[in-house]
Amino acid sequence: MGKFLLLAFRNVFRNRRRTVMTLLMVGGGVAGLLLVGGFFAFMFRGLRESTIRTGLGHIQIFTAEHFQRDEVHVLDTGISNWQRVAASVRAGEHVRGVAPRIEFYGMLSNGVKSSVFMGSAVEPDVEREMGFNPRIASGRDLSTNANGEVEALVGVGVAKSMSVKVGDGLTILAVTADGALNGIDVQIVGIVNTGFKDLDDRFLRVTLPSAQRLLQTDRVTNLVVGLDQTENTDKVAATLIPKLGGLGQPMAIRKWVELAAYYKQVRTLFSGIFVFLGIIVFFMVLMASVNTLLMAMFERTREIGTMLAMGTPRAWIVALFMVEATLTGFFGAIVGLIGGNLLGMALNASGLHLPPPPGTDVPMLFRVLHVPGLMIGASLMVVISLALASILPAIRASRLQIAEALAHV
Amino acid sequence: MDDTLVQVEEVTRTFPLDHSEVTALDHSNLRVSAGEFLAIAGPSGSGKSTLLNLIGCIDKPTSGRIAIDGVDTSQLNAARMTTLRREKIGFVFQTFNLIPVFTAAENVEFPLLVQGLSANERKARVQEALESVGLTARAHHRPDLLSGGERQRVAVARAIVGRPALVLADEPTANLDTRNATQLIDLMRDLNGRLGLTFIFSTHDQRLLEHTPRIVRLTDGRVVSDSQLEGASHGQVLAACVS
Repeated sequence: MGKFLLLAFRNVFRNRRRTVMTLLMVGGGVAGLLLVGGFFAFMFRGLRESTIRTGLGHIQIFTAEHFQRDEVHVLDTGISNWQRVAASVRAGEHVRGVAPRIEFYGMLSNGVKSSVFMGSAVEPDVEREMGFNPRIASGRDLSTNANGEVEALVGVGVAKSMSVKVGDGLTILAVTADGALNGIDVQIVGIVNTGFKDLDDRFLRVTLPSAQRLLQTDRVTNLVVGLDQTENTDKVAATLIPKLGGLGQPMAIRKWVELAAYYKQVRTLFSGIFVFLGIIVFFMVLMASVNTLLMAMFERTREIGTMLAMGTPRAWIVALFMVEATLTGFFGAIVGLIGGNLLGMALNASGLHLPPPPGTDVPMLFRVLHVPGLMIGASLMVVISLALASILPAIRASRLQIAEALAHV
Repeated sequence: MDDTLVQVEEVTRTFPLDHSEVTALDHSNLRVSAGEFLAIAGPSGSGKSTLLNLIGCIDKPTSGRIAIDGVDTSQLNAARMTTLRREKIGFVFQTFNLIPVFTAAENVEFPLLVQGLSANERKARVQEALESVGLTARAHHRPDLLSGGERQRVAVARAIVGRPALVLADEPTANLDTRNATQLIDLMRDLNGRLGLTFIFSTHDQRLLEHTPRIVRLTDGRVVSDSQLEGASHGQVLAACVS
């Protein structure tokens, strides 16, 4: 067995120029997949973390009723004992903070122009502690002690459409928990650029007490839980479910991935693109390798004839070619892993930026993550494609007529 | 007791060529006893290689019967033919046909690997075979570092290492100079005498025939003379072959 593998190993490097070309081709395929896959992984991670850090959090807690019936009025199904729930959740392992939120909507007016908004009410200090920092384009974030002033952040789109700036006043109109219309005056302290135009055109943020006064309620819509690491989401979610059961009001939780529709769409789209690229690389390696292996078989026809004449079973010839191809795939994968990782490191060091993706106006950093699963997957793919590519040449070699093969020039 | 090792009876082999066929061997007969040293002589295209291929079980006759060590090869399937070749027959080729990525010792070891012998036994047999051909010192050289004569001696060592009943050599000296060709034939003759191996080789080289006790002459696919059957003197057959 050892000698057989030795023969296969030496045959791989028999025609060095051709082997180098094959290894470069296979390695190039692996490196390409690592770079594209590594960039996609970086993009997914970046999108995931930005989705979480811009306010989605890792887990959100709602009342069970929230998902059971259509909301007629804001906070009909809100959490009433939210301080108790928040304290209980905050005491758990891996929990960095719990932020109460009210999600509401209504109209903004400055006396001249009006605009609809999608608002959120937060506790600014808690949000900051949890790292949920809005991207302030001008002005500052909300403060907890506003000396009686009702502060607000608006999106750049809102500011532009209503021709307002930091320091200007606005009136917020919304429907209270009882269904009445109410309004409060606010002062703009900051303009926010979320990176998403549609959101910037509707964005409004005020402090939680301001919103509770506007909506005349002491409830919150939901509690946003921030964790130390995204990877702990499932673990913490599992511990939260029994914990919330004993707090009076029936509760339900949603993990970030269930709430991040945009993230899921992007991931599905780019995963599809990556699979398509993988299939192309697979067939490129397969077709090029079939050609190379057929050439090798043709060149070694007399040698194969000699081996068969000496009584070598035809299955050995098949195995020999398949092992040689598999070894070629293995070495090609190593070349690709080294090349892909080095190239990835070089690109990472270059600080390259890509143009802003659709819907945002922020240039995207080009970075390649070194993903072990991707490395294993890409390597396995080329090894398998080489092994498959060798089947036809191997079978042809094993079926050679000995007398004809020995006479081959 | 019958010591027949090879029995060729009325063997014909034809090959298709365009829309007709060519008869390479035409109702030929031959009987070879164990331990013989036999040359098949004749001009190019006379059917020497075809006859050796048929005796070596790497081709099948169109008609007729060939028996090796009492086994009728026409009754064997491909797998049993492979086994027969592995166990009973050693081959030496005109162009040496060594595996270029293996050393001399590894080339000699290959048939033993196919036979499934243990590493220790393989090592001992390889050493013995290389000693027999005087190439112990060149055991770890690859074929491209060996001379033509050395390569052919490695091929002989490879042919005998499995202790076959029969060694077939197709034009073994065609690519050798006179000195190496004579040395090779002396070596084969020595192995024939010392180990009792049966050698059948094809040649049109007069130098070899001078060292050969039995010469079978083929012309146009037919056995036209056999020094053993005709009782002709060695010189007469030799003269016939050369003419």
